[in-house]
Amino acid sequence: MRDYFPFFKRRPEVIYLDSAATSQTLYTVADDMRDFMLTNKSNAHRSGNSMGTWVDKQYQLSKELIGKWLNINKPEKRIVFNSGTTQGLNDAASMIMSAMSSGVVFVGIDSHHSLILPWTQSGNAKWRVVFINLDKDGRIDLDDLKAKIKLEPMAVSKVIAVNAVSNVLGLVNDLDAIKKIALDVAAVSIIDASQIISKRKIDISGFDFVAWSWHKVYGPMGLGCLLIDPVWLNFNPVRPGGGTVTSVSTDSVTWTDNATKFESGTQNLSAICSLPRLVEWLMKHQTDIEAHDISITKIVNDQISLAQFTPISKTDSGLICLEPVIGTVEDYTMMLDAKNIMIRSGKLCAEPLIKQISQGALLRLSWGCYTTKQEVELALDNLGEINARLSRLVQRTV
Amino acid sequence: MLDFQDLFSELFDLEDPMDKYEWIIEYGITIPVFTISRLDANLVQGCTSNLWVEKIDDKIYCHGESLIVQGIASMICAWYNQASSKQQQDFSLNTLTNIGLAPLLSMGRQNGVANLITKIKTL
Repeated sequence: MRDYFPFFKRRPEVIYLDSAATSQTLYTVADDMRDFMLTNKSNAHRSGNSMGTWVDKQYQLSKELIGKWLNINKPEKRIVFNSGTTQGLNDAASMIMSAMSSGVVFVGIDSHHSLILPWTQSGNAKWRVVFINLDKDGRIDLDDLKAKIKLEPMAVSKVIAVNAVSNVLGLVNDLDAIKKIALDVAAVSIIDASQIISKRKIDISGFDFVAWSWHKVYGPMGLGCLLIDPVWLNFNPVRPGGGTVTSVSTDSVTWTDNATKFESGTQNLSAICSLPRLVEWLMKHQTDIEAHDISITKIVNDQISLAQFTPISKTDSGLICLEPVIGTVEDYTMMLDAKNIMIRSGKLCAEPLIKQISQGALLRLSWGCYTTKQEVELALDNLGEINARLSRLVQRTV
Repeated sequence: MLDFQDLFSELFDLEDPMDKYEWIIEYGITIPVFTISRLDANLVQGCTSNLWVEKIDDKIYCHGESLIVQGIASMICAWYNQASSKQQQDFSLNTLTNIGLAPLLSMGRQNGVANLITKIKTL
């Protein structure tokens, strides 16, 4: 699959292990975005000319194909394009807050800040955040979730917001069980699917909101999707504007009855027009992508001892985090960078969890469908070598 | 005129970046250790890992959690402590760029080092 990604021909010296933050780009995406900008640039929905009509068709085709890929009926009523997961999760929170004046949000402690912060901003005092702990294996503790829900009166509005896969632990949460709990207590459910959607086929039916970013799925930067349950079409747009209405007069507004209601203004159309071929590629290679992730995950779990680190936990998919004993994450990141190995380190925008499980920062290695077994082994070897080098240096000077 | 490259010529003679880092780390952990107060007032803002600087007996000393940052900051402090008043006055991030230290500093670290320089000059 590596041949589908021009990056690796252009930068053969680089070992790229930061795919959980941003994946490399499928060749069709780069080609189609360039083609849009240089040959087909026009606006959707309102041009009325043949170029605009072509953009309209690509826009509709994108939603149809996403619907086919993820088994979503009536995609035009369920898929909202936006700038990425952060916007999607903020919009979901805004829609819920416009529908319910107060309540409790049960958020996984393993969540990315994007899932937490929309509920903790000033002015949101009527929404209380309750963190759900992890079980002994590092996944959302369903018993803790149920127990904490039980403590709240029936009449209180409830939201369950979790990520499908933690961007720190790489562990897959039990979405089916979470869906059942949400249905049982009539809670609104929000899933951050950022870390899973490029790796595994998941059942995202039955949730109120599912958000992801395309730059993590071998696609363009600055484009995301928020999948909404059609019931949310009954509510007013988060950001009223062009594209959200069917008619406007001096004294009345008729909102559109499809997902464009939540897509005000001109969309990132160069990115959207690159989706048809990307989604077709994802559908064609879904099985291989999943098998590859399982294979690399197994190699990482089996060979983590090469790095001479104890991992924070075993991983299910896509990424693994490690905590250095000598020096800081910065030292390892810089020294790996000197060997052209690109990893990420720090608080990973998940401070509540990072503070609970580490001294304050972690190293993260994350892979994509293009990552080879050799690259992962080389990175682990180099981590081990750096570890040994730092130990030697520190011991020598003690 | 105290030249940064002359002061640390051993480092600038090395070619392999890993050897450079090793030299920097070794420098940072072998210089005389002073007890730097890890107070917020001594903390350099904008560093990924914590770095403290303090003036003790008219000399600037530092302590960084990261081994590499400790090394780079110690080099800067050592140079600054021996530099002329004019050099101290003119010291900026450009000084490090001109002497070839900047390639070892990512953008994030450059911000931290710029803040370190500002902090040192206020002590």
